[in-house]
Amino acid sequence: MYKTEIRGPLVLGDKTYGRISQDITAPIDRRAPVWWKAAMAVSLLAATFGVIAMYVTVRYGIGTWNVNNSVAWGWEIINFVWWIGIGHAGTAFSIFLLILRQKWRTSINRAAEAMTVFAVMCAAIYPAIHMGRVWLAFYIFPYPNTRGPLWVNFNSPLFWDFIAISAYLLISASFWYFGMVPDFATIRDKTTSKFKKAIYGFFAFGWTGSSKEWLRYEALSYVLGGIAAVLVVSVHSIVSTDFASSVIPGWHATLFPPYFVVGAIFSGFAMVMTLMIIIRKAYSFQDYITDSHLNAIAKILIFVSLIMGTAYGTEVFMSWYSGNEYEMFTFFKNRITGDYSFQFWAMVTCNAIIPQLFWFKKVRKNLTIAFIISLIINVGMWYERFNIVVTSLAKDYLPSSWTTYSPTWVEIGLYIGTLGIFGIGVLFFFKFIPMIAISEVKGVLNAGKTVHKQH
Amino acid sequence: MQNMTIIGVFDDEQKFVSAMEDLKANSITIKEVYTPYPIHDVFHLLERKTRFTYAAFLYGVAAVIGVLGFLYYTSVIDWPLNFGGKPTNAFPSFIVITIILTILSITILSLFTFSIVARVYPGKTPKMPDIRSTDDKFVMVVDRHSSASAMLKENGATEVYEKEVEYL
Repeated sequence: MYKTEIRGPLVLGDKTYGRISQDITAPIDRRAPVWWKAAMAVSLLAATFGVIAMYVTVRYGIGTWNVNNSVAWGWEIINFVWWIGIGHAGTAFSIFLLILRQKWRTSINRAAEAMTVFAVMCAAIYPAIHMGRVWLAFYIFPYPNTRGPLWVNFNSPLFWDFIAISAYLLISASFWYFGMVPDFATIRDKTTSKFKKAIYGFFAFGWTGSSKEWLRYEALSYVLGGIAAVLVVSVHSIVSTDFASSVIPGWHATLFPPYFVVGAIFSGFAMVMTLMIIIRKAYSFQDYITDSHLNAIAKILIFVSLIMGTAYGTEVFMSWYSGNEYEMFTFFKNRITGDYSFQFWAMVTCNAIIPQLFWFKKVRKNLTIAFIISLIINVGMWYERFNIVVTSLAKDYLPSSWTTYSPTWVEIGLYIGTLGIFGIGVLFFFKFIPMIAISEVKGVLNAGKTVHKQH
Repeated sequence: MQNMTIIGVFDDEQKFVSAMEDLKANSITIKEVYTPYPIHDVFHLLERKTRFTYAAFLYGVAAVIGVLGFLYYTSVIDWPLNFGGKPTNAFPSFIVITIILTILSITILSLFTFSIVARVYPGKTPKMPDIRSTDDKFVMVVDRHSSASAMLKENGATEVYEKEVEYL
């Protein structure tokens, strides 16, 4: 049994195993609340806008976007990297804490992984439509073909990116899904509705909870966890290589892979916090998602925020230290000052300064402030990607090709659309899937409670 | 009647584990146990071991060899492209893609292996002695033995009954 004195009990109140199943599956049995329906309506509306924007993009081509010869990458890559970043932390959170045997992950991992899957799905939309002729997207698969056979370029970070994201989506989704199998079995065996029994029974894969199943199940979790930990680090390193392998000032830096990985974990953890506060409040899960859980996430955010601040400082320092006039121009004339200085300072304020408020216990305990800060971080992370993509491209080596960039309604529509798709995914998750891993919480029910008796 | 067994149902993990210890000390065979969450003591007591991780490692080794072979075939044999005079067998730039494809292969093969060895697949009808074991009961299937029922009750079983279990 897990013993902890530092973190206190992981599940509050005098709960029984039966009560845990009942509490967590209650939202599935209840009718959807009004706020859920309202949120779903808004998400559907947003997703419809996105689908229209996608149709316009595919029908008329990417000329409907405002990207141009200089700023060849606009909102699409910004939002792609933003979503991938958010999608990063779910699995990172779940897997790193699994490998480090941190049992406090149990109440949070399910929602974090769900967030990952939906965010990566949103991210995957961007490269597909960015190809222009999306119906030829299969060209990117390396398979023996009649075009030569012409193979894809295995040395290109863009191809690595495609494989890495596909692998990441598959591994995150399967890790998430297999985590849910025992919980689906619980619903299957508890429900009185024949329809639910059939549906959840199908998805429960005939799970019985025998020792043979649990043993292999744990082995599978650790194998997937172990290899996904490598993937978490490599996916965003590869995304950063898309930038860093070019010779564009502000991109061509060895700092990029760790900078991107940490940034991704930062935005994802912030999104985990946003979601956990919503779930805790909307479904009264205070006994499972305790103050201690949110406190731990806030502390991680402070630490990561300090790394982000250091990375921003390092970038600026290196541009000066390199003595390269283009690097210095990009950082000092086009980021810290100049047309895009607002975005630069918004990034610094949102990511490196405001999260420092978490040093104060009062701020960590006040969930309204914590919720707002978690949103601010994701706004800041969006500005970071804007800052990286647009400021380096808008003013390049030739003043004659200098330009400014602002999105068209199609580009904005695509972004709002992915927000809507993400919203729909998360809301379906709230309604039809146990938001907290039932079997895992049962395993840590007595954690932190029996310690004093034993001393 | 050949498959008649004794089923012990428990409410508490610790009582369940101590009952298992008792039964084991008295050489009574525990055929299988069903629990709401994994308990490591159970694995030790039933001496359950899995070679799953070795299988995953072997998949990894095979995938590394396979991917590097495939890259060599496509880039050197089938369609050698001249990138500014660089060698076609560009091993260092193959490393990243090899890692990613290896992870992808291990994931897919591990999932299938799990499905096959643990016999869990979509739509399977579960076979278990007591369906409450996925909720809040710890269930033990024990060989019929004169003292088994008494021992289970002594250790705090809330219910003990006989049932035919033909699938173990």
